[in-house]
Amino acid sequence: MSSSTVRSIAGFVIFFGVWQALSSVGWINPVLLPSPLQLCAAAYELMAQGILWTHTLASLNRVLTGFVLASVTGISFGVALGWSEALSDFVRPLVESVRPIPPIAWTPIAILWFGVGDAPSYFLVFIGAVFPVFVSTFSAVRNIDRVQINAALSLGAKPGLLIRDVLIPAALPVIFPGLRIALGVGWMCVVAAELIAAQSGLGYMIQQNRVLLQTQNVVTGMITIGVVGFAMSALMELAEKRLLPWMERPK
Amino acid sequence: MRPEPHQAQLVVRDLVKQFSVRRQERGILALDGINLAMRAGEFVLLLGPSGCGKSTLLNIIAGFLRPTSGQAIHGQEEIRGPDRRRTVVFQDYALFPWMTVQRNVEFGLKSQGIPPKERREIARHYIDLVRLSGFENRFPHEISGGMKQRAAIARALAPNPDILLMDEPFGALDAQTRVLFQEELARISSETRKTVLFVTHSIEEAVFLGDRIVVMSARPGRVRAVYDVRLARPRTAATRRLPEFVDLAQDLWESLKPEWQEDKETRQA
Repeated sequence: MSSSTVRSIAGFVIFFGVWQALSSVGWINPVLLPSPLQLCAAAYELMAQGILWTHTLASLNRVLTGFVLASVTGISFGVALGWSEALSDFVRPLVESVRPIPPIAWTPIAILWFGVGDAPSYFLVFIGAVFPVFVSTFSAVRNIDRVQINAALSLGAKPGLLIRDVLIPAALPVIFPGLRIALGVGWMCVVAAELIAAQSGLGYMIQQNRVLLQTQNVVTGMITIGVVGFAMSALMELAEKRLLPWMERPK
Repeated sequence: MRPEPHQAQLVVRDLVKQFSVRRQERGILALDGINLAMRAGEFVLLLGPSGCGKSTLLNIIAGFLRPTSGQAIHGQEEIRGPDRRRTVVFQDYALFPWMTVQRNVEFGLKSQGIPPKERREIARHYIDLVRLSGFENRFPHEISGGMKQRAAIARALAPNPDILLMDEPFGALDAQTRVLFQEELARISSETRKTVLFVTHSIEEAVFLGDRIVVMSARPGRVRAVYDVRLARPRTAATRRLPEFVDLAQDLWESLKPEWQEDKETRQA
């Protein structure tokens, strides 16, 4: 194990150790913040009953659906607007004025349009995730090195080959971080949506348990959200390394 | 020994290129009435100070830019866009970083629809020619600047172009590597018998490599003089010590000095 891994693990151990110690000596009120051991018990209970899985899967389904919709839309628009100066003049100011509206501010209208269930969550994830994808794709296409396109053309590349072998690989290193951010934002959006506009999912679970004053379940839900978000981000990073082996990476 | 236009492979006729500048009625006149003819197999050097439009001329011949007036003709056809019969070696290599050396060299063959097995063999041949064997599977960021330029030369040669266009290809290399590359290019060009148009601002490089040197002057870019280089081939390290070599380099320096001094002063000002 490298020393940086050791330090990372030590950070966790110390954090939870201090928390547990403060709870054990009674300095933390367990109704406001349960101890780590209470949380483990709660997590075990929720898993044994299958509740945690059901809600996690419901949230994952929503975030992935919304994320895929956002990626397809964001990349398509990003490529089109990045490529066409004229089209960009028409659409860009519109996009830029919608972009600052936080996804949570869309919640009331999402419920109005789609009711309660999966649909408003898809929509809110879409709203949160589409802009990072769009912005990164747009700037990727805008900043493609003209010399590389010239090199490809002078070697006789026809449009199909130019797009597949030059434009897309040239844009991917900029698009990928955008996708990673989008997935992170989408994950935050789905939880926010579920607090208000759903009958399942981790956000819904948290909200239910707050009403019932089951704080240990509320915090277990929050930790699950953190762990799943961390795992998604790590998976995206792994995919990036696999798909872009040619990138120079700082060691 | 100037080629008559009818036997030339490449002809540039009364070429003018004006770049428009924002809020100025008259743009910058980069090229003003350029005439040039190149025979098949000839090695022509474009020599001049920075800003003389030599790279602009090369870009027009490559088909990346359109002239404001006049024509560039390759064979019987007017040049209207990039074409794999005229490949380019760029100063900053312009290799595709997502492809290995092998795939970079194969690119021009792939775009012609040559089947994978055949293009692998052709690429191997050119990788061998530029002495990069053993580095086929490296990505550009894993090899040195000199090796990148070798790969870029192999990539430009692989589709078997009529004309090789080289835009200050050794500009990013250190002085020693540069001398070695000039000798290697002299070898490669006599082995492949390509027509080469080579842009440089180095007098030494021009005399060492060229059959003919076209000297350009700046603002506006014009052909100022043309020199024939009567040095025997193959050219080697010993060529640089020949009296003819030294004399021609000296002549060129004398004729270019006033303008280059002026260029330096205006840039410092």
